Amino acid sequence: MPSDARMQDSNPFVEIATHLFLEDLAAKVGVAGLNNYLVSLAKNLAAAMPREEYASWTEFVGAVRDSQSILSTFEEVRPVTERCMSTLRSPFERGWREYAKRVGSFAPVHREVAEYYNHKVRPTAVTSVHIVLHTFREAAAARIRVGDDGVRYEPVAAAWVDGTVQLPEGPKLESLLKRAGITRTKLGMLLRNHSDVWLLEPA
Amino acid sequence: MIDVALASLIEDMIEKAGAEGVVEFWQRVGDNLAGRMGKEAYLGWTSFNVAVREARTAFSIEGEVTPLTDMAITDVDGDVVGYLYAMRQCCYVPTIFRTRFAVGRMSPADKAVTEEYNENVHNIAVCNFCVFHERFREEIAKNVTVSGNPLACFLLATRGWSGETKISSKNVVQVNINEDHVRALLRNYECVYALVLRGARLKGER
Repeated sequence: MPSDARMQDSNPFVEIATHLFLEDLAAKVGVAGLNNYLVSLAKNLAAAMPREEYASWTEFVGAVRDSQSILSTFEEVRPVTERCMSTLRSPFERGWREYAKRVGSFAPVHREVAEYYNHKVRPTAVTSVHIVLHTFREAAAARIRVGDDGVRYEPVAAAWVDGTVQLPEGPKLESLLKRAGITRTKLGMLLRNHSDVWLLEPA
Repeated sequence: MIDVALASLIEDMIEKAGAEGVVEFWQRVGDNLAGRMGKEAYLGWTSFNVAVREARTAFSIEGEVTPLTDMAITDVDGDVVGYLYAMRQCCYVPTIFRTRFAVGRMSPADKAVTEEYNENVHNIAVCNFCVFHERFREEIAKNVTVSGNPLACFLLATRGWSGETKISSKNVVQVNINEDHVRALLRNYECVYALVLRGARLKGER
């Protein structure tokens, strides 16, 4: 979130209500239906935001780092390499903590829908909100031009507030790490105290 | 982020279930959240009001609530059976500002749900979130007892982020509070409600 005095970090009560909203929705439409709603809302959100253009990759990465890009609207992004981005704290952390404090343990459907997404789309979600985050970043990246190129997003790994880590395995992970320009050891170092590691590359 | 994304979800749901479907969803979410908050008991109004001020009650999940202890509600015998409570800031306003500076503008879905609620349920909403938390408060009031009696909640007045105000004429009459007093409160507060002992014989009741 930009360090703008007009902006607050998050709104935990509205986040709690939204999580309950999603739980109620899941009771009606099932896990697959909830997944569709989460993907759709993230795409709609990105589509509502302005397109962006940058003259060079350096300018683009600088805008992401300085919270000037739509990709860093909801999170503080720290570039690790030219292509590898990291998020220090999950934008959902405060809402989740407030939920745990005021309401109790997270409803199982949030994990169930993440498992569905991991199986059907890509294996990088720990809980429901990661579906929103990955889909939003992907849709937002598609709205950005750097020179003559588009921008493609891919998640490398996600670590949830409770320490659970989700990442692809085998050749898929090796390919992502190579394109991101980091090693498996570096990824492990980042995941100790970062919530997300992701890749941006020219499309 | 999920709070900003909520408006996009509501846009989607309006397409599938209509604004009236979203109103029903929000009300059910209010019931569900209140149901998960647990019961509370207080010896009397003094201990309850201290708990509200110290943010120890279920009502505090919405944000900072001020008990207006100079504005007591009395029953037909003149006994104090409740008080007014107010929030300086509507709990949805931070999300409206986050949306304004993240997306650029608020989704029209917010207005569609608000209008549906005002026309068909209770003309008091200034944003879609009012639909949820009016019901939420009504339900948690049932789970809070003061001197052994459960409470009832009446939403009296709201002020939206762009300055529009709503006063519930029927609820203001019910708790026998002068509408001008409530209007004056809206200069300092964005949401005003009354908590009274359930079943109390209020002066405004017919």
